[in-house]
Amino acid sequence: MKKWFLLLICLFLVAGCGKPATREIDIATDTAEDADFSSADLAKITDAMINSMEANGFYQKYAGQHGGEKPILLLAKSLLNKTDEHIETRLVLEKIRTAMMKDNMAQFVDDQAFDMALDQLNLQATDLYDNSKAARLGRFVGAKFILRGTITNIRKQDGRETINFFNVTLDIFEVETLLIKWTDEVEFKRASTKGKVRR
Amino acid sequence: MKKIVVLAVLLLTAGCSTYTSRMEVSRDLYYEGQYQEALLSVNKLVKDASDNDIYLYLLERGKIRLAYGDYDSAIVDLQEAERRFHEIEKTYSVGEFMKSSLISAEKIEYQPESHEKILINAYLLLAYWLEGDVEGSYVERNRVNNRLQQYTDQLSQADWEKLDVPFARYLVALLYEMEGLNDDARIEYDLIRKLRPEAAPPEANSNLTEIAVFTEFGRAPVKVSREIRGYFDKKDGKLFAVFLVPGIPQPLIFDAGGAGGLDLTDPGVIFTFAYPEYQRQPRQVEYCAIVIDNVEASRTVPLDNVEETAMAAFKKKQGSILFKAALRTALKTSAQTKLADKGGAVVDILGKVLSAVERADTRSWQTLPAEIQVFRMECEPGPHAVYVRYYGEGGRLLGTSPSCRFKVEKGKKVILYFPGPS
Repeated sequence: MKKWFLLLICLFLVAGCGKPATREIDIATDTAEDADFSSADLAKITDAMINSMEANGFYQKYAGQHGGEKPILLLAKSLLNKTDEHIETRLVLEKIRTAMMKDNMAQFVDDQAFDMALDQLNLQATDLYDNSKAARLGRFVGAKFILRGTITNIRKQDGRETINFFNVTLDIFEVETLLIKWTDEVEFKRASTKGKVRR
Repeated sequence: MKKIVVLAVLLLTAGCSTYTSRMEVSRDLYYEGQYQEALLSVNKLVKDASDNDIYLYLLERGKIRLAYGDYDSAIVDLQEAERRFHEIEKTYSVGEFMKSSLISAEKIEYQPESHEKILINAYLLLAYWLEGDVEGSYVERNRVNNRLQQYTDQLSQADWEKLDVPFARYLVALLYEMEGLNDDARIEYDLIRKLRPEAAPPEANSNLTEIAVFTEFGRAPVKVSREIRGYFDKKDGKLFAVFLVPGIPQPLIFDAGGAGGLDLTDPGVIFTFAYPEYQRQPRQVEYCAIVIDNVEASRTVPLDNVEETAMAAFKKKQGSILFKAALRTALKTSAQTKLADKGGAVVDILGKVLSAVERADTRSWQTLPAEIQVFRMECEPGPHAVYVRYYGEGGRLLGTSPSCRFKVEKGKKVILYFPGPS
């Protein structure tokens, strides 16, 4: 009886002694934790979309027609989120922008820098600055194309199992003509089951 | 002498707190419209909450913050609670099961009723919309839709009529309409029409310039702990059960000689059978009317009787609740008799104390209204001011809500939400 009592006390004493565990996760081999949208899906979507754009040849064609000039794109504010999850969809577009610029596929207009740039231009136009070296007004470049898209999901819940289907569709359309120059989709479906017993 | 001690223990522990009693102050302040004070009170409860109750307190605080107009914080609270409730749904904890069987029914993590889970997302939808985050509210609309499918699709027609949440459906339909998805809106309105024919609009029309007002009034029913306490006594070799029943001044004494196989060598076995009872709360408001630009436009239309839904959900689970309560009583009584023979005085005392402090699980989302009503009207584009008049018995004006000023654009809809008094 005494032994059991002592063991119980020891267990209580060591219960709070664990050090918080931290570990690095390799993004390249990261997998989804559950059926919800996860960081692992971002890489999957970006890779698939970049491969599709390269295969489509849209930007090479544009460069061929415009003396080697790269197309100028603008990102939509965000993907149209038709899912049942609060996803930072802008991240999907920004990852694609980063990959496209790294691969020298296109130039991008920064859609979020307009106000900041305007403030700087106005400030540099004052006598506070050396006007001969100041950034000049009237040189903003308009985008010829816009990259946008939609993310949709269909979720089924059955007991402890969740099945979640995602579709991400992106397209690049020409501002002047509204013609879609490239489009593709990535689809994935995932099931996750919760354990019966929780801690 | 021992009898006097047993009686004293029973009387002293009879007033121990339950969730309903702990929430009383916050609840009263909330229904009186004193949201700031209600938040101060509920903040303290959140701070002191156990792991079993914390997410329920977050629901209460989220609802108060929504009423107060602190939409960002309401979203944080409601989402945190929603995430946890989703995580533990249909899972079991062995430790909690043991504790709830042996110690107290409230020693298990709170799991909301289905209608409460649907309402979490409905209120999140409102919070996003009222905050001006249209995309966020569309996401919540999709989540409400999933929850409605998950919890109501499997129900029989009779159960569906009692347990559906037309308020959530209406919000879903309204947001579909706003997005131009009239077919999807129509499906939801058709379902609402089956439950509340007068509440559904004749058609879904994205192009109408409209005001939709949701008003809440009355208090959600609350659970109270009912306890039948007593002790076993031995007199002239005979075993007696002495029951202390609430509301009856004299103890009820029964000859328990042959019952239960109890063979007492020592009297003073305490027993408590505690079970929850849902209590409707008194209502002052009978109906309300909407005043637009200083003209009383119309009465609101009943949309969702949350009180009835809560009562129906409770009734469905009552059998298993009573069974668990009986099991707990049996275990604690047995600790003082059969187990005490093996375990000795410690087990006996533990059994007595645990029997004496036995309370029913009275947890439920208590800042919900008894009823939600709707008012909808086509209006001219431009600025408007709307407030609600609350009427009591015989049409007596009880009070008015604060006025809400807003601007409606042509072909758009405005949603207004008035959490109301009791």
